[in-house]
Amino acid sequence: MAPLRNLLDKVAPLFEEGGKWEKLYPLYEAADSFLYTPGKRTEGAVHVRDGMDIKRLMVTVVIALMPCTIWAMINTGWQQMLADPAHAEAVSLGLKSSWMTALSLGAWAFLPVYAVTIAVGGALEGVFATVRKHEINEGFLVTSMLFPLTLPPDLPLWMVGVGIAFGVVIGKEIFGGTGMNVLNPALTGRIFLFFAYPSYMSGSVWRILPAEGAVDGVTGATALGDLVGHGDVSQLGYTWADYFYGLVPGSMGETSALCCLLGAAFLIFTKVGSWRIMLSSLLGLCGMTLLLNALSGSGSTEAIRGYLAIGPEWHFVLGGFAFGAVFMATDPVSAAQTDTGRWIYGALIGALTPLVRVINPAYPEGVMLAIIFMNVFAPTIDYYVVKSNIKRREARLGVQ
Amino acid sequence: MDKATKKVLVDPLHVQNPITLQVLGICSALAVTTKVETALVMSAALTFVLVLSNVSISLLRNKIPGSVRIITQLSIIASLVVVADQLLQAFLFDVAKEISVFVTLIITNCIVMGRAEAFAMQNPPGKSALDGLSNSLGYSWVLIAVGLFRELLGSGKILNYTVFEASADGGWYVSNGLMVLSPSAFFLIGLIIWVQRALSPEMNEED
Amino acid sequence: MEFSNKYIFCFSLLLCLVCSLAVASVHDELKDRQVKNAQQDQQSQVLQAAGILSPDEKLTSEEIEEYFTKIKALLVSRETGESEVVKITSEEFKQDPRSVAKTADGGVDAPEKEAKATGVRRIANKLRVFEVNVPGHECLVLEISGNGLWSTLLGYIALSPDTREVRGITYYSHKETPGLGGEVDNPKWKAQWKDKRALGEDGEVLVEVVKGVATDAEREIDGLAGATITSRGVDSMLKLWLGDHGYGPFLKTKRGAL
Repeated sequence: MAPLRNLLDKVAPLFEEGGKWEKLYPLYEAADSFLYTPGKRTEGAVHVRDGMDIKRLMVTVVIALMPCTIWAMINTGWQQMLADPAHAEAVSLGLKSSWMTALSLGAWAFLPVYAVTIAVGGALEGVFATVRKHEINEGFLVTSMLFPLTLPPDLPLWMVGVGIAFGVVIGKEIFGGTGMNVLNPALTGRIFLFFAYPSYMSGSVWRILPAEGAVDGVTGATALGDLVGHGDVSQLGYTWADYFYGLVPGSMGETSALCCLLGAAFLIFTKVGSWRIMLSSLLGLCGMTLLLNALSGSGSTEAIRGYLAIGPEWHFVLGGFAFGAVFMATDPVSAAQTDTGRWIYGALIGALTPLVRVINPAYPEGVMLAIIFMNVFAPTIDYYVVKSNIKRREARLGVQ
Repeated sequence: MDKATKKVLVDPLHVQNPITLQVLGICSALAVTTKVETALVMSAALTFVLVLSNVSISLLRNKIPGSVRIITQLSIIASLVVVADQLLQAFLFDVAKEISVFVTLIITNCIVMGRAEAFAMQNPPGKSALDGLSNSLGYSWVLIAVGLFRELLGSGKILNYTVFEASADGGWYVSNGLMVLSPSAFFLIGLIIWVQRALSPEMNEED
Repeated sequence: MEFSNKYIFCFSLLLCLVCSLAVASVHDELKDRQVKNAQQDQQSQVLQAAGILSPDEKLTSEEIEEYFTKIKALLVSRETGESEVVKITSEEFKQDPRSVAKTADGGVDAPEKEAKATGVRRIANKLRVFEVNVPGHECLVLEISGNGLWSTLLGYIALSPDTREVRGITYYSHKETPGLGGEVDNPKWKAQWKDKRALGEDGEVLVEVVKGVATDAEREIDGLAGATITSRGVDSMLKLWLGDHGYGPFLKTKRGAL
């Protein structure tokens, strides 16, 4: 690796102050610190709390996303095989023996989406970093990983580009870049696509029913869209276990609750993700769902009554709840920062999700809207938590 | 043209823009900008009301008793708004059907009341007319710019003339549904503010 | 400057007088024009439903009037199906049946099931029909309304004179999600309706908006992608308005006559 280091050191003066390409320093810095530990030392008095820096933090999240990503490719490929008669033979052998085929097929669907995300988002990051003279932040590694996982596999690539551009610019750069953003950029991009191109995101999305496996490229409403129509989980065509393991069509990364749980365990173990947010959103989901269950008699039609009566275990595995709660809600920048605040923030995300799903037929998936909504409220929650802490301590010290 | 007059004329277009700096008249800016046509008509209606209300209030400025000042301004503005709405319904029915509600809401548009109270009450009619005109132009260009983007990106048209053939009609352009919804006007106005402040840093608030 | 109370009082009085005079005279001056505009707007909607006019076409008022010499306005008794020809400009025809229906003796309650499905709680006793006799476009244009997802959809449906086939449908007012439910006014979707089977021999409603893609080309319409509720709303309002509680009895007389 020495020649590479030498090369970087050799070109360094060109980018440093007074150099020819001084303006492009952020690009050089990004390449350098991506490949090596930065040579810079903090000067002056510092307090080192631990060895965690943004780079390590973000890489940890990327590792936590690995199960979801690999599963995204396998499942996407598998769903495609189910639909394509040419793969009938491989399908009949079962996923266990033909997972390699599925993985390679799925990679063909996932990697272009990922590449477009990196190219468009990375280019924008570079432009902003150059203009604003700050360094390109590792945060984009996570954003670019999360974003493709929230998309349906058949989304046109230009939409992927438009979506991530909106997410990076409006969700992040407009507020001043990583660390200053109010909203989660990956989710902002997805929401943009959801409202801009609804028929691609929540209308007739890519879907194959197991019984009609031979039909090519079947589209239909997603499970959550279907439930608004009939409110009966037994009509979905899949079992609870299918949804838990993720052997169902859907947006690429969110189908498997199991993979999300694996990621959650890793994030909690490394203390990168807040367990308070994950646990409280789960509790919020259960609480609200049980409340809806209790109200299920009051629905005006059979379908609404049925949907109201669906238990929390279903809401947990359907749609993107697990993925959102583990990877999106815990984004350290846009989530609440205080511990009490995190409990409130997570619980409200959990509670809003089934509420949007069941009560508002226009938006079959609620978790995305719930998280963005709470992102907006997180600073307010923190403000009041801090204020009440101050009040309590003042009272204890007898200041007031 | 002396410096003060020039300031009256130019400031509202950019550094004192009623929408992007003072953030007034946002409700109508969100509601009527789905198409350039509605934005144009709304702008015309506001210009009509604002110029005439500024002139008539300025003419009366020494006759209006302070205690009934606000209600006097309101009655004049409200009458002008009703007249504008009636005219639209008579001569531009197709557009009026869509924006009638927002035209009548000009009564509550802070730009009109604000200019009457802040400018017309202290200045002669000629200058007030100028102030009304430049403020409505400041409002209009933002509205029309937003309308231009929303109509173009939302349906591939400008002034109902097809620029991009929309996929719903068999063309290549996939319409952006967000642009048809009101929040998109927020984003667009936000972007306009961003550009304006990048050009003129003096528009930034102090921290 | 100090003003006396008397001055303030007189000033206010004068101001009110001037303002109200101005507003009243403008209104009076423009009223005829506005009424005519509203009427012609409705008439061009009827022409659209009948397939005479395409949505982005504009006609002059003379052309509209020309067409309407061949279009009869009928007031139909909801109960018996008897109809009488009235003048399009007559007061009783101009009244909106949706508001008349709300009065105690102007309408009846819609049956509970249909009311729930469409949001139409009251049905007027007198319903409006346009009988179009423009050569090549002979049809009956009926008013339909009902809830979609966000809003009440208002529109017209055109049936062939023997009520057996649909000629066209149009919605002139709705606030559905653009791109999903808002596609009810997409010309491509509306084009599907032409020549679909409307009513059977016993007046049963045959045309149907299905979920997903239509399989029966004779009578099924594709559901709007991603807009289950709006599609269902359209379907329910057809069942209501073409059925026995709506235009059914009138349509029966038409079927018998031919």
